Amino acid sequence: MENIVTLKNVSKKFKVGDGDFWALKNINLELSKGEFAGLVGPSGSGKTTLLNIIGSLDVPTDGEAIVLGKNISGLSHKESADLRNHYLGFIFQVYNLLPVYTVFENVEFALLLQKIPETERKTRVMEALEWVGLAHLAHTKPSKLSGGEGQRVAIARAMVKRPEILLADEPTANLDAENAHHILKIMEKLNQELKTTFLFSTHDEKVMQYLKRTVRLRDGKIESDHFENNQKL
Amino acid sequence: MKIAFQLAWKNLIGAGLRTWLNVGVLAFSFLVIVFYNAMLDGWNHQAKFESIKWEYAHGQLINENYDPYDPFTVQDGHGIFPGKTADLCPILIRQGTLYPNNRMLTVALMGIDTSQRIVSIPVEKLKSKYGEFPVIMGRNMANSLKVKVGDQILLRWRDKNGTFDATEVTVSGIFKTDVPTVDNGKVWMSIQKLWEITDLNHHATYFVANQNFKNPNIPGWKYKSQEALLQDITNIIAMKKTSSSIIYILLLSIALLAIFDTQVLSVFRRQKEIGTYVALGMTRTQVVGIFTVEGSMYSVFAIIISGIIGIPLFAFLAKTGISFPTNSQDVGFAMAETIYPIFGIKLILGSILLVMVSATIVSFLPTRKITKMNPVDALKGKLQ
Repeated sequence: MENIVTLKNVSKKFKVGDGDFWALKNINLELSKGEFAGLVGPSGSGKTTLLNIIGSLDVPTDGEAIVLGKNISGLSHKESADLRNHYLGFIFQVYNLLPVYTVFENVEFALLLQKIPETERKTRVMEALEWVGLAHLAHTKPSKLSGGEGQRVAIARAMVKRPEILLADEPTANLDAENAHHILKIMEKLNQELKTTFLFSTHDEKVMQYLKRTVRLRDGKIESDHFENNQKL
Repeated sequence: MKIAFQLAWKNLIGAGLRTWLNVGVLAFSFLVIVFYNAMLDGWNHQAKFESIKWEYAHGQLINENYDPYDPFTVQDGHGIFPGKTADLCPILIRQGTLYPNNRMLTVALMGIDTSQRIVSIPVEKLKSKYGEFPVIMGRNMANSLKVKVGDQILLRWRDKNGTFDATEVTVSGIFKTDVPTVDNGKVWMSIQKLWEITDLNHHATYFVANQNFKNPNIPGWKYKSQEALLQDITNIIAMKKTSSSIIYILLLSIALLAIFDTQVLSVFRRQKEIGTYVALGMTRTQVVGIFTVEGSMYSVFAIIISGIIGIPLFAFLAKTGISFPTNSQDVGFAMAETIYPIFGIKLILGSILLVMVSATIVSFLPTRKITKMNPVDALKGKLQ
């Protein structure tokens, strides 16, 4: 399968007080199109840092991160914004919905940035809301939604632009078991139907049950890289 | 851009009272700026109109020895005009003393041609049918002398040789004018009568010109055009505008400070939102645009609110004017009892532009911080 993410000796250093903290140390990783993978590990293991680098929100201190053929370190602000706008989707632990927008407008936001015509926008937003089963709440404000519903809106917002890669940072951390399973089933279905690559950062056992590939991180290093049934896609 | 306006609108409406407080202060400043300037424009317009009507007409031809700002030049600052006087109204100034009600008051005796139509001094009241020696004066002068129409007062003057003479004069008319320089300390009489009592036949201190007058450049006489004569008023109004701008700056600063403060708080409190915009694919410059538009929208709201309050209020004031007490009239140049503010397009558009540009600048300044923000830290809501 086609490689869409290639990390070569990626390291990331942060300043902490007077010293340096290496959040990632020589990470080598490849992700193929259509994977349903997870970065797993305890807090401080470097999962979110790695996710941020793949999402072009951050750059590695050393090494190369190639995402969809683009070297993240070499991108300008505009180019990395363009990459996120068209090819990457994000799901956050606390949903990060815009409180002043309705559910519909939150999902529509990503398409507005892509300057998609209004008619097409409406169709795609409603389609995305139907994927997550929230079409009936299209005109509700995020403050009126439950945690599970909020996260489903976040999924719809991330998926509406049909990204190549969807990066989900602890997507179930704020959800109860039932909602977490519901969310993961939706994502699994979208992965299968739309062939979108999903990369999670999680330490939630519920998420791990769904992963087709589990990359374990510890102290900024890859401890293990395990494919379901030992099968690489 | 559409996103910026949509978000700004929703965020401002969502912010409720905080938005309306900012808008209220800005609208108040805007209304005060427009009103105060309109008053000065109205005053300027009326002062010039009244001065032209009562004193300056289309210009003055002044004896070169006479300086209107130096009373000592009255004695010798006069002469016979050698040219044609068809388009000119001669005025001769002499000094005299009035003795009303056992008091003594030094006055300027203003001789004016009783047939003139160039300025609005009511010269018809100076005709002999009103008494042997009729004089007229402005209302302020009559009030200070405590005289009324029909009263007789003793007048003393010197003739051209310096010899004192005196006679009783009759107050044949009291006119109302907003121009203090034709009222305060002035007694108007027929120039023929003044020539007669001073033995200065055909002399004038200055001439007031009508629109047909062409300056012949006659030696011994200097011509001052209408514009030159009005320059003092223009200068005084410009000075008043400058001094009043301190009030505008203070008011506007308070309003802009409120917007600045709100913007600083917004950038500080909405870091997660900023991080989300960046994660969704906006450039940091676009995010700065969103926050700047949001801040500048305060000015748009303020202008709309000002329009709702200001249009009916200002229309009413422009029609009825603002009255001032009589004792405020003595300001050195024309000031009417009622000033009608002039709300010109230039003033309103200029004020709108001032408020919008300044609000946009103060909205932009705190948002520059966004360009330096780390999106990862912003997403975490970490203070930067």
